[in-house]
Amino acid sequence: MRITHHNPEPKDPRRVVVLGANGFVARRLAKALADGKIPHAVIGSSQVDLLAPDAAGKLRDLLQPDDALVITSALTPEKGKDVRTFMKNLGMIDSVCAALDTVRCSQIIYLSSDAVYDDADPLVREATPRTGQGLYGMMHVAREKMLESAAAGKTPIPLCIVRPCAIYGSDDTHNSYSPNRFMRTALKDRKITLFGQGEEQRDHVYISDVIRFLLTCLRHRSEGAVNIVSGKAVSFGEVAIAIAKLSAQPVQMENLTRGPGSIITHRHFDISLRLRAFPEFHSTPLDVGLAESSNELAGTGPA
Amino acid sequence: MIGFVGLSHLGIVYGSATAAKGFDVLGFDPDSKLCDNLTAGLLPVSEPDLPELIQSHRERLRLTSDPAQLAACDVVFFSLDVPTDSANQSNLTPLRNLIDLTAPHIAPTAAVVILCQVPPGFTRTLAREKPNLGGALFYQVETLVFGNAVERALKPERYMIGCGDPRTPLPPAYAKWLVAFGCPLLPMRYESAELAKISINFFLVSSVTTTNTLAEVCERVGAEWSEIAPALRLDKRIGPHAYLGPGLGLGGGNLERDLVTVQTLAAQHGTEAGVVAAWQLNSRYRRDWALRKLHEAVLGQTENPALAIWGLAYKIDTHSTKNSPSLALISALEPFEKAAYDPQVRIETGTIPNFSQAPTALNACRGADVLIVMTPWKEFAGIPPAQIKAVMRGNVMIDPFGALDRAEAEAAGFSYHRMGSPAQKRS
Repeated sequence: MRITHHNPEPKDPRRVVVLGANGFVARRLAKALADGKIPHAVIGSSQVDLLAPDAAGKLRDLLQPDDALVITSALTPEKGKDVRTFMKNLGMIDSVCAALDTVRCSQIIYLSSDAVYDDADPLVREATPRTGQGLYGMMHVAREKMLESAAAGKTPIPLCIVRPCAIYGSDDTHNSYSPNRFMRTALKDRKITLFGQGEEQRDHVYISDVIRFLLTCLRHRSEGAVNIVSGKAVSFGEVAIAIAKLSAQPVQMENLTRGPGSIITHRHFDISLRLRAFPEFHSTPLDVGLAESSNELAGTGPA
Repeated sequence: MIGFVGLSHLGIVYGSATAAKGFDVLGFDPDSKLCDNLTAGLLPVSEPDLPELIQSHRERLRLTSDPAQLAACDVVFFSLDVPTDSANQSNLTPLRNLIDLTAPHIAPTAAVVILCQVPPGFTRTLAREKPNLGGALFYQVETLVFGNAVERALKPERYMIGCGDPRTPLPPAYAKWLVAFGCPLLPMRYESAELAKISINFFLVSSVTTTNTLAEVCERVGAEWSEIAPALRLDKRIGPHAYLGPGLGLGGGNLERDLVTVQTLAAQHGTEAGVVAAWQLNSRYRRDWALRKLHEAVLGQTENPALAIWGLAYKIDTHSTKNSPSLALISALEPFEKAAYDPQVRIETGTIPNFSQAPTALNACRGADVLIVMTPWKEFAGIPPAQIKAVMRGNVMIDPFGALDRAEAEAAGFSYHRMGSPAQKRS
C-alpha cells in the first residue's frame, strides 16, 4: 500500500470536474474550489444522468484530457439498500469508465467509503481486506475495482481512492445514527437518543477535513488508496455529551434499551499511511468540528 | 588450517573466534581491497569487542584473495552473509558465485560447511550438484546477533550441524573445531538444521510481536509493561532471556527474511502459515509508533517544528540501518527540519531533505521542539534530561525504548512518551 504524489510540490489542477452536484461533499468541494480560484465544473444528474444510455457520450463531450475528475456521485443507503440500487450505482460508474476509455484525464479521485472494509476488524487500515459491508460496501468495492481497471489502460491515469468514515457537518442531509443527527435533535427537540449508553466507538471525520484532503490530493495529483478519518475513535455517548455541552439549552439524553444479544462493536483506524504520505495534513479535533457545525446549524456561524 | 570463504560480518566474526580458540585461520574473499583493509585493521562492520579480538589473535589470522590458498584448509566454512532485497527475499547468487569460484581449489578431503543463511533444501541440492565439493558437506546454524556477535561466537549455546546422514561420524578436523567451543553438538539432517535456524527466529518473532501487542494495550489501559515483564521472566515457560522489550517492529533483515522464506515454503507445500502475515502486519504497525506519537504530541500543534532524532542504526552496537525504524521515521518527515545524531551511522549529506547530522547528541537538540530517541545507545542514558531541556525550545520527549530515565525527564519538564507505558504516569 503506497501513495504516489505525481506533483511532489503542490500545484493547482488546470480544471476540476466534480461529478455529483447535489451531494453534501460535492457542494462543499465546489465552494472550496471557487474560494481557491481553481477552475472547475460541477456536473449533476440534470446535466448528465449517469444511468441514461447516452451518459458516457455526454460525459465524454464535457471532459478534457487535462481535467482532474472527482467522482462523488452515488445513491446512498437512504435511497435504497437493495440489489436495484446496487446495480444502479454500478451502472453510473460503468458510464464514467466508458467515457474514460476515450478521454484520459490527468487524475481521477473516487470518493469511496470505509464500508469497503471487513466490519469484523476493529483496527482498520488501507491494507484491511475489502470484503464490503452489505451491498453498499460491496458496491464501493466493485466501483473501486471498475475504476482501477479503467485507470490502468494503455495511458494510465493516476487514480486516488479516498475512503472516509462517517462524515459530519452542518449541511449533511443524511440522518443516520451519527453526530449529524445528534446535533439536529439537540437543536430541534433538545434531546439526543442513544442505543444503550452509546458505548460503540467510531471515527467521525469533519467535512472541512474531507474537503481540505481532497484539495491536497488534487494539488499533489496523488495516486493510491487512503482513508480520510480522524484517527481518534470516540463513543457515541461521548459525542452526545460533547454536543449537549455546546447547546445553550439543556439537552436530554434518551437511552434506548438494547435488544437481547446485541453486540457492542468498535472501529478504530490506523492512520499511519496517511501520516507518512501527507505529513502536513492534520485533522480538526472533534470538539472544534462539532462546535463549528453546531454554530452553523444554529445559524450563528458560517455555513 | 580452517578456511572462511566470504568476509562479511559472519566470516569476520567466526574467523576471529576460531583464531581465538587457537586454530590457524585463512580468510578468503575475492575482494582484495577488503582483504587489505582487514589486514590493516580496518573493519567493514561495527561490532563490540571485535577489533580487540582480532588484535589479540592477529598472528593466527591470514587473509587472501587467492582461492588457490584454500587448498591448505582442513575445514572450509562458507561464511558470506546472504543479502536480502527490499521484499526481504534472499539473494543467493553471491553465495553461489563464491562456491563456483572456490570449489575447484578446496582439498578433496576437506570438510565443507555452509554457515550462510540458506533456505531449507539448499545444502542437499548443493551436495547433489557438487558431489566433489570437499570430502563431506555440512550446514551449520549460525545464531549471531548484531551487537552481541563476538560473545555468541565464542560461547555458543549449542551447535546444530546439518549432515547428509546424521549417523555418520563427523570428520576429525571439523569435530576438533566443534569440540573447541565446549557446547552441546546436535547433528541432524540438512533440512532440519536449515529449518532450525528459521525456527529460532520464528520463536523470537512471536515473542517480539506478543510483547508489542501487549505493550500497546498497556499504554491505553494505564498498565506498565516494565512491571509485567520481570514477572514473565520468572515463568519457566517463558524464561529469563525472552524477548520482552517492546520494540519498533522487526529490523535488521534476518527475521523478516525467515518470515518470507516460510511463507514461500507454505505456499509451495500448502501448509497453513497465516500467522506470518499477522506478524508482518504488526511489525509494520509498530514501526510507525513514534510517527503516530509525534503527530499526536507535536506535529498537529506546532508550526514549523524542529525535530531532534537520536539514533539511526536499527539497534544499538551496530552500524546496520537495514529496516531501521529511525530511517523509516525520517522518511515520513520530509517537510520538517531534522537534526540527528548517531554514534556509528553517518548519512551522506543531501540524501535526505531538510536533514542534518550533528556532531554530538546535545547539538542535535539545540532549538528542537521534540527529541525522539530511536536507537537507545547506552551513551544517551548518561545525558541529564535537564541539560537536554536547557538547549531545546519544546518539551516533548519521545523515548520508545526508555533510554532515558522517565522520572528525571518529567522532573526536567518533559512531556515523556515511552512504549508500554501510559503517557501520563499515574501517581
